Amino acid sequence: MRKFLGRLLWAAVSVAAAYALAGIALNRGEPVNSVWLVVAAACTYLVGFRFYARFIGARVMGLNNDRATPAERLRNGHDYEPTNKWVLFGHHFAAIAGPGPLVGPVLAAQFGYLPGTLWIIIGAVLGGCVQDFVILFASMRRDGKTLGQMAREEIGRLGGLTALLTVMLIMVILLAVIALVFVNALKGSPWGTFTIACTMPIAVFMGIYLRYWRPGKVLEVSLIGFALVVLAILGGQWVAESPSLAPVFTLSGPALAIAVIIYGFFASALPVWLLLAPRDYLSTFVKLGVVFMLAGGILLVRPQLQLPALTRFTDGTGPIFAGTIFPFCFITIACGAISGFHSLISSGTTPKMIAREWHAWGIGYGAMALESFVAIMAMIAACALQPGVYFAVNSPAGVVGVTPEAATATITSWGFPVTAAEMETLAREVGEHTLFFRTGGAPSLALGMAHIFAGSVGRRLLGFWYHFAIMFEALFILTIVDAGTRVGRFMLQDLLGHVWKPLGRTSWMPSVITTSAAIVLAWGYFLYQGVLDPLGGINSLWPLFGIANQLLAAVALCVATTILVKMHGARYMWITCLPLAWLVTVTFTAGFQKIFSPAPRIGFLAQAAELQAAIQAGTAADLSEARALIFNARLDAVVCGIFLVLVTTILADSIRVWYGILTGKREARVLEAPFVLTRLKAEEI
Amino acid sequence: MRLIRRAVHLLVALMRELSDESAYQRHLAAHGLRHSPEEWRRFCDARLLSRFVRPRCC
Repeated sequence: MRKFLGRLLWAAVSVAAAYALAGIALNRGEPVNSVWLVVAAACTYLVGFRFYARFIGARVMGLNNDRATPAERLRNGHDYEPTNKWVLFGHHFAAIAGPGPLVGPVLAAQFGYLPGTLWIIIGAVLGGCVQDFVILFASMRRDGKTLGQMAREEIGRLGGLTALLTVMLIMVILLAVIALVFVNALKGSPWGTFTIACTMPIAVFMGIYLRYWRPGKVLEVSLIGFALVVLAILGGQWVAESPSLAPVFTLSGPALAIAVIIYGFFASALPVWLLLAPRDYLSTFVKLGVVFMLAGGILLVRPQLQLPALTRFTDGTGPIFAGTIFPFCFITIACGAISGFHSLISSGTTPKMIAREWHAWGIGYGAMALESFVAIMAMIAACALQPGVYFAVNSPAGVVGVTPEAATATITSWGFPVTAAEMETLAREVGEHTLFFRTGGAPSLALGMAHIFAGSVGRRLLGFWYHFAIMFEALFILTIVDAGTRVGRFMLQDLLGHVWKPLGRTSWMPSVITTSAAIVLAWGYFLYQGVLDPLGGINSLWPLFGIANQLLAAVALCVATTILVKMHGARYMWITCLPLAWLVTVTFTAGFQKIFSPAPRIGFLAQAAELQAAIQAGTAADLSEARALIFNARLDAVVCGIFLVLVTTILADSIRVWYGILTGKREARVLEAPFVLTRLKAEEI
Repeated sequence: MRLIRRAVHLLVALMRELSDESAYQRHLAAHGLRHSPEEWRRFCDARLLSRFVRPRCC
């Protein structure tokens, strides 16, 4: 009877998933309630988790709870420690959740809610969750080895080196693009800038408190830090209204970019305990809290989606970024559907803390499904805005016109009515001077979130919630910028150490300063070019980041496929080959278009050629700016080309290994740690 | 009621794990040490050094 009820329940969940997906896919003309998206996503994840992931875990991986995990065998009280599965789930989710799943869907909403939503759900169930699960499993069976180590051992030295170089290059682009989102969210906003500026002395205060006054009391100091940040948000309103203080905190894009670059350098070179660690603790708690608040808000308010299922910009003429749905929707939304960066986390701390092998099922597959759900919430927050407002906030002045009147006229002519007066009222309600041309996705996401939060507790607090959301986004973007710069510095020192040994010493000050400066200048250059870009920067940098991230996922899937081929021959290689083939198709098409497309808004080389022609014809408004833009466009084309070459290398190397194994010319040696019977008792976890 | 108690217990355990407080307790237990400001600083330096060499997720 119980078995029958179980089957009945799963049949109902499957029918609900299919019905909701059909509902959002086939509906045209009438506004759709966000609950449809929530049901479609949640039920599809549940079905994927229960059936597909369980099949992979049981048949393909052969997960066995009797087998001792590295957490038990190598237990040392530090990295290797058997941990409760729910605690580890939260820990893993906190590690994989970044700004990507929030910003990507907001930008992709320019196509309408349908393409992005379908990609988030299907991409996660068949691609992202599978990648995270398989890499977590592979690392767990190899004593917690990293992706780079596995690439080197399973594929070859060339694969390992390529993986390292790919990660370093991606880091540079990632830091530049998220710093650009940060700059665009705060430019011309004294309230937001004051709040974020306050988080720095707050973090330093927390660091000193934790090191000298109350050592070990991390939760206590995080609570104090959060209270101080809330006070900073409230103080920000007062600063924004003060005639003497507001101009001090009203910064332009270039000024903010320089401030972030200087901050990145000091954060990388200063002791970790002083700034990075306390900010990291605070950011983690705020991130988890806000994600669950947003879920609660959406369920409480159940907003209608104002954007249509498909907009006219499916033809590739979108104002936020140029390009058609295929391939650009699939690289714009990376982290919510499939993210290469997750493979670094799945082969980092988590495999060393899994107590039972089957816990990898919920942690690897389940946490990614939850991350994907965060992306769905971001899509809802963006699509709940009036379409005219959404486009007015996200479109660059270079596309819609430099004055509010010109911008609203252009956007209204697209069929999304909005007036300058409406935008002014909205800006006043959230305590901003203007909401026009705030590209990058963060301000429109904050607006959507503020509407949802304010809808739950009262519209009077719209300004507070908007800045609370901005603080939340900016806080964890800065956390990634500072920690990422430091990580980039270590990677560079590791590489340079092979050239000259002292450069590899992480405590040698000249090396610390040189490598910190090199990494900061690398991402700072791309950030600055994005800030000066008349098309808003996002148009060129976000696709570059999307391509890079998806190519890293392709590297991870190459490693995963190699392991499956060694375990089962060709029988189950479709599990990882299917998403791999899709990613390679998408990213190579996107990469090729970004380099060679004849449309100047898409192709970097065409953009450079157009500017060159303008210089020669004498129609370029600013000669030195045009020359700089030409150089930047060519540089972006080169970077994009390098990504494609790196991944072609690792793909070719992997295919060589698969071919060797499948034809019997190469030994299929599975490099797992030997089986040891577990002695871990249930009450110990 | 038991379910709520268990949920709260798990939430506290998660927060202690995220804040490294659990890791510190394990460190003290594994090495038979008692808490002191110096020991926390030693633990913290080693822990943060290993944490901030790993790439962050986007």
